[in-house]
Amino acid sequence: MKRNNWRLIAMLAALFTVLAACGGTTEETDAPATTAGSTATTAAGTATTAGPEGYCTNSTGTLVWAHEQEPPDMHLDDPNNNLTTTAWARQALWDGLHGISSATVYFPELLAEDAVVTENGDGTVTASFKLRDGLVWSDGDDLTADDVKFTFDVIMATTADGDDEDTDPDFVYLIGDRTGYDTITDFSVTSPTEFSITWSEFFAGWKATFAEIFPSHVFSADAATAAAEMNDQLREFKLPNGDPIPSSGPMVFSSWERGIQMNLVRNDNYNGNVSPDAQNRGVACVEGVTIRYVTDTDAQINALKANEAQIIMTQPQLAFGDELATDPNFTVAASAGPVFEHWGLNVFNVHLSDPLVREAVALAMDKAQVMESLYTPLFGDLLPGEGLGNTYWLSNQPQYENHSGDAGYGLGDAAAASAKLEEAGYTKNADGIYEHPDKGVLSLRVGTTGGNALRELQQQIIQAQMKAAGIDIVIDNVPGGAYFGERPFSEAALECAGSGGTAGDCTVWDITQFAWVGGPWPGGQSASYRSSSGNNPYGFASEAFDARATECDATIDDAERDACYNELDTYVTTLGPDGNGLVMLPLTQKPSFFGYSNASLAKGAVAPDANSAGPLVNVVDYMFSG
Amino acid sequence: MLIYAVRRIIATIPLVLAATSIVFVLTSLGGDPVTAKLATCTTCDASAYQRLIDLYELDKPIYPQRYLSWLTDAVSGDLGVSLTQGERPVKDILIERGKNTFMIAIPAFLLIAAGAVAFGVYSAVRQYSISDYVITGASFIGISMPTFFFGLLLQFFVVYWLQKTGQKFFYTSGIHIDTFTEYIKSASLPIMTLILVSLAGESRFQRAATLEVINSDYIRTARAKGLPERTVIFKHALRNALIPLVTVWALDFAALLSGAVVTETIFAWPGLGRELISATFAQDLDLMMGVTVVAIFLTVSFNLIADLLYGVLDPRIRFD
Repeated sequence: MKRNNWRLIAMLAALFTVLAACGGTTEETDAPATTAGSTATTAAGTATTAGPEGYCTNSTGTLVWAHEQEPPDMHLDDPNNNLTTTAWARQALWDGLHGISSATVYFPELLAEDAVVTENGDGTVTASFKLRDGLVWSDGDDLTADDVKFTFDVIMATTADGDDEDTDPDFVYLIGDRTGYDTITDFSVTSPTEFSITWSEFFAGWKATFAEIFPSHVFSADAATAAAEMNDQLREFKLPNGDPIPSSGPMVFSSWERGIQMNLVRNDNYNGNVSPDAQNRGVACVEGVTIRYVTDTDAQINALKANEAQIIMTQPQLAFGDELATDPNFTVAASAGPVFEHWGLNVFNVHLSDPLVREAVALAMDKAQVMESLYTPLFGDLLPGEGLGNTYWLSNQPQYENHSGDAGYGLGDAAAASAKLEEAGYTKNADGIYEHPDKGVLSLRVGTTGGNALRELQQQIIQAQMKAAGIDIVIDNVPGGAYFGERPFSEAALECAGSGGTAGDCTVWDITQFAWVGGPWPGGQSASYRSSSGNNPYGFASEAFDARATECDATIDDAERDACYNELDTYVTTLGPDGNGLVMLPLTQKPSFFGYSNASLAKGAVAPDANSAGPLVNVVDYMFSG
Repeated sequence: MLIYAVRRIIATIPLVLAATSIVFVLTSLGGDPVTAKLATCTTCDASAYQRLIDLYELDKPIYPQRYLSWLTDAVSGDLGVSLTQGERPVKDILIERGKNTFMIAIPAFLLIAAGAVAFGVYSAVRQYSISDYVITGASFIGISMPTFFFGLLLQFFVVYWLQKTGQKFFYTSGIHIDTFTEYIKSASLPIMTLILVSLAGESRFQRAATLEVINSDYIRTARAKGLPERTVIFKHALRNALIPLVTVWALDFAALLSGAVVTETIFAWPGLGRELISATFAQDLDLMMGVTVVAIFLTVSFNLIADLLYGVLDPRIRFD
């Protein structure tokens, strides 16, 4: 019997061994392997004539990007989808009139040169554009000014009866935000490469429009019909005949295995990357890109180390840096990202309604300590050690001014904070927390989307700083996206903010923490501060701000407009000209970074994420070894 | 037995209704997709969200109207569409993801079952021997080791082995099923992870049950009759000792087939468990309910099968 039992155990052990043996392979064959369903060929695939002389010495291999988030579809303006990951994938598929460089500056992408802007004297403004010569789509069709006009037409399309989204429930606009398109009064195509656009009034963010140009030749000529077709076909990025929608970017959509991966293949008709960041001006060296959906961050790192992926791009975290930054087999490419964290204050909170208390909170906060704890050890001087001090301009932009820091905020000055509180009539209790005779103990709730470890860590660090200044901070997070709907953007809270504190419920939240995304045109931030905006949860209301914001957006001169936005920032990150500001405490700009394998890749791309572009914006630069 | 089975099936209907009601209400109370999306998209046109409101009937009370509406559709085979997957029918997703889950759950279950019996019986028969202590110790390590940790540990070993030798036997993540070899390479680590926790616990169950049986009178009688020890254990003792384990198997198998949330997430295995997590975070109500219905159906079904198996294993058990 003894022998027979051992046989049973041995049999099980043998089974495991067989499982293992069946899977054995050598590491060398893995790197550029073709993935299931991809149309790309394997490492031994055909060489191409792609790329400028001397750059693509190897034009084989499929780049695998292990990423945590799978988009629901590829339609960016689908109500189900406003995910960054969709934008990242589409970055590789469609170019626009302007691109954004890693310095967060617009550059002409499909345009041959900067547009000429002319004031017409009647309040209207006309910009004249010229496309690069010889532009083509991935299927070989010419990309012309008619495609740009088509893009405008489908974005602004209404039904044949003139119905729109509001009057016809079956009709949905192609994009949700049509700002900058809806004030276009004339679109004239003068030649296949030349066109002009007239706006009824100057729109400061005009370079942000036409960030993607759509291929007119594969959709119906009628704009409303085409818009309906695109609303449907953009989801899977396929035409009804199964072909992918043509690309103007370096990649062409190939296939999507839901839950597993999305496959893109090289656009051999690519017009070339003119970004100041790109090294390769021609078509991509890699045969394609597979975006493989690996949810767990540690598993992504392991996939990179196991050579199953060549790039990963994830949340900044110490573990990431610890494991990869010091390993010579990997490059961690970092840049100052466009995303920044802030604390927004509810000015109708019984304590925060007093500007002195808002100042105390701002003075007690030590942003340098937050930076030191989270980012500085990994990213050195990539970001300012004192944290962020502006909500319009980011630290890596030439227009940046540290208004918050210049006012003495965010430096961890507990004594100054205490002085402000005492000036406001507070006295310190035995437990070290201040109390007001009428308003009670100075206890404030700070909330965010629970589950974000990095953000929660920031909260805990600042909570300790506030306690040292006599301010009690209670962390009041709500899991996931439900936070916004239940706290600062709840109906009751917005009603309070919009009514000047006379309606709704002003006690729903005290301090909110979440992230915003900056960019080369920061004018959109004003919507969160304007008194008439439905997106202003803070209760900040200033006629002077509203008027100045309108003036800023109407300023044609770039330098003047940039300075104007800096002026607007002082209204909200300091007490401002009317002494009623300081509703916004910018905290930290988040670094964007991704890691790639030096073992597999001979060349990587530069850190790309100045405007949330993702790792594929310079995908032309990646090249496999060997 | 047939009447018993029919009776049990009928009895499960209220259970299914209660379970789906609770899950539906709780998931709906957890927040609706429109509020979350409106709050995070400051530039979106609110009217575009009317479609979501219509789709989920968010303007109606959660219970009973919305639940009854969902139930009526579900009974007729329409489980709705997934908002996180381009409005694909939930039914199609469940079939697709279910197949993937089956690919790791069935081999894992077979190995767990075989291993639990083998280690449990051996450990009981060799009680207090060195091998019993080794198996017991290993079982406790397995029970106490978190799944996510063991999964990452396996990945780490693959990476370590690759760096050390240049050889890689398994994929650390993803599903690769173009060939059987590829399947083995990508499914092995998730299967091993699934095995660890269940095998450790079940082998302890089997050991305890076997110990109880082999010390009973009828086993002593069998030995006194001079039957070979192998016949005593495998023919007389094992059948009775399996009865407690059958209940555990039923629950474990149903749980495995419903999707192993942690394991599938760690190994990027696109099964039902990973789908449930994605749907929950994205508040994809129809998909959440779809996976829940599958889990309820499997749990109820396998419990019924377990009850029927009791009669096969022990003829003294009657169903009337």
